Amino acid sequence: MQSPNPLGKADQTLSRNMTLLAHHELGGFGGLGEGISLQITADGRRILWVAHESAPKNFSGIDVTDPKNPNLIVQTDLPHMQVRSNSLDVFGNILAVAYQTQVVGLKPAGVDLFDISVPEQPKLLSHFDCSGPHSRGVHALWFVDGKYIHMSSGSEDFEPTHPLDDQFYRILDVTDPTQPFEAGRWWYPGTRKGDISPPPPRMPKLDTGYRVHNTNVFPREPNRAYVGYIDGGAFVLDIEDMKNIKVISHWNHSPPLNGFIHTVLPLFDRGLWIVSDECVMDDGADWPKLVWVVDARNEENPVSIGTFPMPNPEVFTKRGGRFGAHNLHENLPIPGSFYSDTIIIGTFFNGGVRVFDTTNPYRVEEIAYYVPGAPKLSPAGAIQINDVFVDENAIVYAIDRFGGGVYILEMNI
Amino acid sequence: MIVNFKRDVISGKIPVTIITGFLGSGKTTLIRQLLVHPSMNKVAVVINEIGEIGIDQDLVTLSSENISLLANGCICCSVRTDMQETLRDLFTRRTIGDIFDFDRIIIETTGLADPAPILQTLVSDTLLEAQFRFDGLVTLVDAVNLPDQLENLKEPEKQLAIADRIFVTKTDLIDTNQMDQLVQLIRNVNPSSPIQKILHGNIDPNELMGIGLTSSKASQKTLHFLGENTPQTGEKYLGVFAKRHTSNIQTETLRFKTPFTWQAFSSALDLLTTLRGVDLLRVKGIINVENQPIVVQGVQHIFHPPITLDRWPSEDHDSRIVFITRNIPKEVLKSLFDVVTQVVKPAGLN
Repeated sequence: MQSPNPLGKADQTLSRNMTLLAHHELGGFGGLGEGISLQITADGRRILWVAHESAPKNFSGIDVTDPKNPNLIVQTDLPHMQVRSNSLDVFGNILAVAYQTQVVGLKPAGVDLFDISVPEQPKLLSHFDCSGPHSRGVHALWFVDGKYIHMSSGSEDFEPTHPLDDQFYRILDVTDPTQPFEAGRWWYPGTRKGDISPPPPRMPKLDTGYRVHNTNVFPREPNRAYVGYIDGGAFVLDIEDMKNIKVISHWNHSPPLNGFIHTVLPLFDRGLWIVSDECVMDDGADWPKLVWVVDARNEENPVSIGTFPMPNPEVFTKRGGRFGAHNLHENLPIPGSFYSDTIIIGTFFNGGVRVFDTTNPYRVEEIAYYVPGAPKLSPAGAIQINDVFVDENAIVYAIDRFGGGVYILEMNI
Repeated sequence: MIVNFKRDVISGKIPVTIITGFLGSGKTTLIRQLLVHPSMNKVAVVINEIGEIGIDQDLVTLSSENISLLANGCICCSVRTDMQETLRDLFTRRTIGDIFDFDRIIIETTGLADPAPILQTLVSDTLLEAQFRFDGLVTLVDAVNLPDQLENLKEPEKQLAIADRIFVTKTDLIDTNQMDQLVQLIRNVNPSSPIQKILHGNIDPNELMGIGLTSSKASQKTLHFLGENTPQTGEKYLGVFAKRHTSNIQTETLRFKTPFTWQAFSSALDLLTTLRGVDLLRVKGIINVENQPIVVQGVQHIFHPPITLDRWPSEDHDSRIVFITRNIPKEVLKSLFDVVTQVVKPAGLN
């Protein structure tokens, strides 16, 4: 008798405690990056902003006031095919968009700030240029207070010791969004030519670079930056003096694992960090890519105490495309965002969007998931859920990396 | 304002509906129809013996050991050595991706159709208790034979008394007057649960779902679950039912204005269960425990873990408990809770 194994079939939608309310393919441009945020307009509308994963589209705005009936209200274009926007954030009526080029030396490579008071008509306020002979521009940014953009960026004056180490931590002061300027920067010692420290050793099996990815700073502790430094590990930085940033904590699981620490999400009241890796290779080639629970009650001695349970890798690494951890809902301190210090929502490429209860940090429990069937014409042949935003009503907005667009889900937890 | 989201302690658990009914009540016919219904996608049906049902093999897409996957997405599972092992096996195979990620279970009871052992399994096995919740008990009764059965046997009366939904089969074999009398007969034993006629097992599966408490977040649904303001009772309060005299099964409602301590309430309930568990058929209520609303429910001597609601579902903060019992007068129940409350030290006193 044949044993049914539906999880391994990429066309099969899988779900537990999550219900699909709506699905929007964004007019055929449903390949989305890792920028997703919510604007609540003066007239009470709720606009979901998403960054596209690659050209030709830049960013899109979707009216999700009624999450069962999303309506695409604006979609913008990039100037050429060798740039991607990948990341964005919204604070009030200001939208910040990151631009990264495929190779160094191209433009635009930096940050745009838009006035989105009228969401249908974004107005460019300023462009901050981060291009340079060794820079691809900005990969990811964090903008939640209206004052500072924290970002992973190259710079005209930064020549890395290794070409993969081109994006470091930069802070922009955008108090006046028409005139942003650099307020601070920090990089992994040894990654810039001229550093006293020697260049860091490369990861033995898979070198994905000593680059910054996510740079999270929360208003409740504005002097701490939680930084995923890819192969460099997880850092907590003291940014009280942005001109003199100091390392508070450093934790890394690699080697022996395959690097690529992506997000460091602090759960302040519990003294925990939730740290996610990013899977960057298909078919499990860089497995395991996990979400980690780190006991950081002693900032100077962070200790991993567990990982999130994952669906069966024997099944999912054969389901098509990437399988493993990626973005988390980051408890964005903005109006309309879901906040929990126990419930964590993450994206896992072909593992879909998954929900975890970390009440017992030593035994994290998976409590919900949604894995859409493969989007039409997906080059991966499977869903590749890339990023997620959750609103204060526990409505989940999950986005696909190739073509699937936005999946709007209700959690039954 | 940032609000720290807290998990609903029960909504994520997989609901379990138990179907019971005396021999000849049409359970097999119902199950046969359910298995092929289009709305049964992602439902696992646990039955005694697949062979008895006689599934059309053309509808079976995959099968392994004791599990058949049907074309509509329904999983049909026959009991292995016992229900506990069967349910654990289903959950494990679901987790590892061996079968569809079903989101509901329907269980057909065996033998004399006593649901107590299944409920005992659901609340005492730590894995099952963490993953499943009892949703409701559906009882099938045979329109032709029920009067005789109630006259001569104890078991059908108990099955009726503890049912959350009652389905009357073979109603094409009786006339309208006989149906009216049958409803009266049922109401003598069970004054409140919805009664529905079904023919040849044809039923909308949704009738078997969403019966119990589905969330610890208080809402109108909580009041409905408690039996308040429902079309069935037409009464304002839980369990204010018309008195019946032809059965030794009574439905009684107690109301307490003074909040309990948990120790006092649970001690009284423990005492009642110890002394008269056999005659305690069903208990359901909302209890004011030091001003917190806590839902309790039990079938016979088995009680589910109490559920603390996030808030009171209405302005009424009195404790209200409905008891379906065999020959336990209301005054005795009331006295028991009053006395135990007095014996237990009030909270805060040393």
